[in-house]
Amino acid sequence: MEIVGFALRRLLVAIPVLFVSTFLIFLAVAKSGDPLAELRERQPPVPPHTIAAEEARLGLDQPVLQRYWNWLTGVVQGDLGPSVDRNADIGMEIASRLGITMRFVLIAMLIAAVLAILVGVVSAVRQYSWLDYLFTSTGFLFLAMPSFWLAVLLKQGGIELNTLAGRTLIYTVGDSSVIPPPTLGGRIADFAGHLVLPTITLVLINFAAWSRFQRSSMLDVLGSDYVKLATAKGLRRRTVLRKYALRTALTPLVTVIALDFTAVFAGAVVTETVFQWRGMGDYLLESINGRDVNAVMAWLLVAAVAVVLFNLFADILYAALDPRIRRVS
Amino acid sequence: MSAEPLPVSAPAAAPGQWRGVLARFRRHRLAAAALVALVLVALFAFVGPLLWRYGHDDITPDNSQPPSAAHPLGTDSLGHDLLAQVMRGTQQSLLIALTVAFGAAVVGTVIGIVAGYYRGRTDALLMRLVDLFLTVPTIAVAAVLGHNFAGSGGGWMLIAAVLAALMWTSVARVVRGVVLGLREREFISAARALGSSDLRIMLRHVLPNVAAPIIVSVTILVATAILAETALSFIGFGVQPPDTSLGLLVANAQSAVATRPWLFYFPGLVILLIALSINFIGDGLRDALDPTQTKGPRRRRYLARPAARTEAVPDDVLLSVRDLRVVFAADSGDVPAVRHLDLDLRRGEVVGLVGESGSGKSVSAAALMGLLPPTATVSGSIHFAGQELVGLPEPQFRRLRGRRIAMVFQDPMSSLSPVHTIGDQVAEAVRVHQGGSRAAARARAVELLDTVGIPDARNRLDDYPHQFSGGMRQRVVIAMAIANDPDLIIADEPTTALDVTVQAQVLAALRAVRERTGAAILMITHDLGIVAEIADRIAVMYAGRLVEVGTATDVFDNPSMPYTRGLLDSVPRLDRPADEELWAIPGSPPSMTALPAGCAFAPRCAIRTPDCSAAVPTLLPVTPGHLAACLRLTPHDGAPPENATTTSIPERP
Repeated sequence: MEIVGFALRRLLVAIPVLFVSTFLIFLAVAKSGDPLAELRERQPPVPPHTIAAEEARLGLDQPVLQRYWNWLTGVVQGDLGPSVDRNADIGMEIASRLGITMRFVLIAMLIAAVLAILVGVVSAVRQYSWLDYLFTSTGFLFLAMPSFWLAVLLKQGGIELNTLAGRTLIYTVGDSSVIPPPTLGGRIADFAGHLVLPTITLVLINFAAWSRFQRSSMLDVLGSDYVKLATAKGLRRRTVLRKYALRTALTPLVTVIALDFTAVFAGAVVTETVFQWRGMGDYLLESINGRDVNAVMAWLLVAAVAVVLFNLFADILYAALDPRIRRVS
Repeated sequence: MSAEPLPVSAPAAAPGQWRGVLARFRRHRLAAAALVALVLVALFAFVGPLLWRYGHDDITPDNSQPPSAAHPLGTDSLGHDLLAQVMRGTQQSLLIALTVAFGAAVVGTVIGIVAGYYRGRTDALLMRLVDLFLTVPTIAVAAVLGHNFAGSGGGWMLIAAVLAALMWTSVARVVRGVVLGLREREFISAARALGSSDLRIMLRHVLPNVAAPIIVSVTILVATAILAETALSFIGFGVQPPDTSLGLLVANAQSAVATRPWLFYFPGLVILLIALSINFIGDGLRDALDPTQTKGPRRRRYLARPAARTEAVPDDVLLSVRDLRVVFAADSGDVPAVRHLDLDLRRGEVVGLVGESGSGKSVSAAALMGLLPPTATVSGSIHFAGQELVGLPEPQFRRLRGRRIAMVFQDPMSSLSPVHTIGDQVAEAVRVHQGGSRAAARARAVELLDTVGIPDARNRLDDYPHQFSGGMRQRVVIAMAIANDPDLIIADEPTTALDVTVQAQVLAALRAVRERTGAAILMITHDLGIVAEIADRIAVMYAGRLVEVGTATDVFDNPSMPYTRGLLDSVPRLDRPADEELWAIPGSPPSMTALPAGCAFAPRCAIRTPDCSAAVPTLLPVTPGHLAACLRLTPHDGAPPENATTTSIPERP
């Protein structure tokens, strides 16, 4: 019960933040240019009443503040507004693309977190061993690696592997096959096959920073008084490490991963463009190029809500892991 | 600093301090190498184009050429010379990244200092602002804004401005954290009390003290900015053609990795090299700016050399320490912590081990528990209940810990695990050595907590340490210590971290424990008042050596080593007039790396003679059972000198 109240308080704090950020971004996108420019300059000219109708449909004939208000009231009622593309429904579009993107973002975060914990803990426990040096240098390397370069590198590696094998061993393009396999099992395998390379990319660029963090957090705990006292009780080193050191050294990482969610998402945008996934990243770039205000707003709103929800989840997890937090309001 | 007199000097970085930082940075070989690499890359980017025969937008007749003498990095399909393009791209990327870092540093520092300095509502408001920037993926907003400006031809400055506007939050958070801590410090309060304006305090006193964390976080930010800019250019919302950036070069090359690999690898490797160098420099700066963070020596494993003993240990002596020495390996060489310790403890006896901090008492205790870090080397002999502890293999040592020898640490606030319940931690101490069911261990935990005087123990088992006061927590630690009826309890400054009234309660708990279990207690403290209350005998340490030992009465009534006398004189006493000035031993304890020759106390001693600096005095009997190490000692009752070599402690009178 304590945790639920705690979570609700956090959620309430997030609402004004969301309100202000949507307003600022709406202004920025609305001022970014005329979405109908292409229509106006079309040859032969489009009849003026068609353009006027489009303006009215998109609300471009109204002042910006009014447009934001309309957008806001619409969003509250579940209407994300019209898209520049007459045939597209923003909500449907985002829903399908979010599913595609979150598929590899969440899997990548999970794998990266587990890897970071393993690597960080081993480096800390075996500080200054050859293993620690190996992990540290690998960490520094991936910390400095541009995500898009790594993605292209992996993709090329996949292509060369396929050429070598003479058949498609590993998918290098798209989020699923154009013609989906008929069986459910086949479709799942198809999804999974397409996930491999983008997921590896995201894992590699994110686990490095996390493992460095986990290492230093574990080192802090290993030097703490309660770990010394646990040893002084006569516990085995293994028990001390597992029960006392690891348990407390994990909590700070939760916050770091939550804060990094936006960075992972940004990494996903870049990764998607390389592997040509029709996910959120692709939709963002498409909408910006088309000056589709409502689509960009919907994108950012979904991203912001995802961030807020993710932070909320992290806060709850943190409170569950650390009894000291539960009492503090 | 100006010539204007400052009433309270802020511990700001003095010029000499920066020289030290530079020296430490140079010693960090990887960081120094990275700095050289970065300077070379910068020269390549900014001076290179002036010297190279092709411009970045020159179209040569050689298209799609692999690297050759004419085009060291090859050419692209339009005939651009890649070397010229990489130089231009590096220049753009570096310009943007440095501008972003500078802008973010300025904005982040101002906001961080203001938030941390004013706190309260200002802080809350500014932190909400930070939250706002953390809500949206930077690259998405940068893409939106970058698209806005793409047509306006603003070039790298606009991209830098957009990225800086999105990246200042990391600096602001770091700075705020430091300032929040700083604000409580005396020199800030003093400056406020003197009526300095807030602005002046922030500029003169706060800013210099947050310089170090700012430098580190801004350095790392340069790497982040390079990666962000190149990613932005890669997806087409950063630097626009015909100009170029490293990200754009990689983007153009992605379809040609197989056919023209040089186009892809060279720009990517330059990004990697820059980001890698900056991260190493940041790492080196962090170590150089914060000497306390420096890594310990990387070699040395725990070494222990037990000394051969000739004399037999009498049956009633539980613990017998002979010539114990502990040396720590440090970067600057070996540092002795315990130089020579002889000490006996009888069963059930309470001995107070007294000395200033750094005198080696806690290290001695850690040696008794086998809890020294791997950088320590131990020699001598520790005989405990028929076993030699120096060099004892870990599995055997583990079985002693908590069962035969238990320990109570100084700070109860930090010696209990914050995420496990009290009941769990106490019951675990029982089960680790006695086994048995969880329920039985919990029942025993209740008994133990009752013994140390925790009210309503049964209902508090599932509470966490943060729900207990300091004194109560220390009782919990004591309960864990007596869980297995140990023969010896080592209490390392068990009351130092507590209030005076709570101190008395914890001492009472320890006394009760002793009466109930009959355990011997080695009470390590610098507080003679505590020793007077509880100890049968007192051992005084100075600079890693035992300088006086005897019964409490002997030492209190007849302190024979000048240091002990000084310690006793510096204790406030009720039987002296209140207006009498409190005495303090002049000078301060010597550094263990630069010990004076002869008696280590001589430089501070009022009765020293030239001989004192010539030879280390040995412990000599003052009266039977009372020994002191001082050349000026005139043996009472003409104690026989043939006893001088042995340091074993005779029977109590």
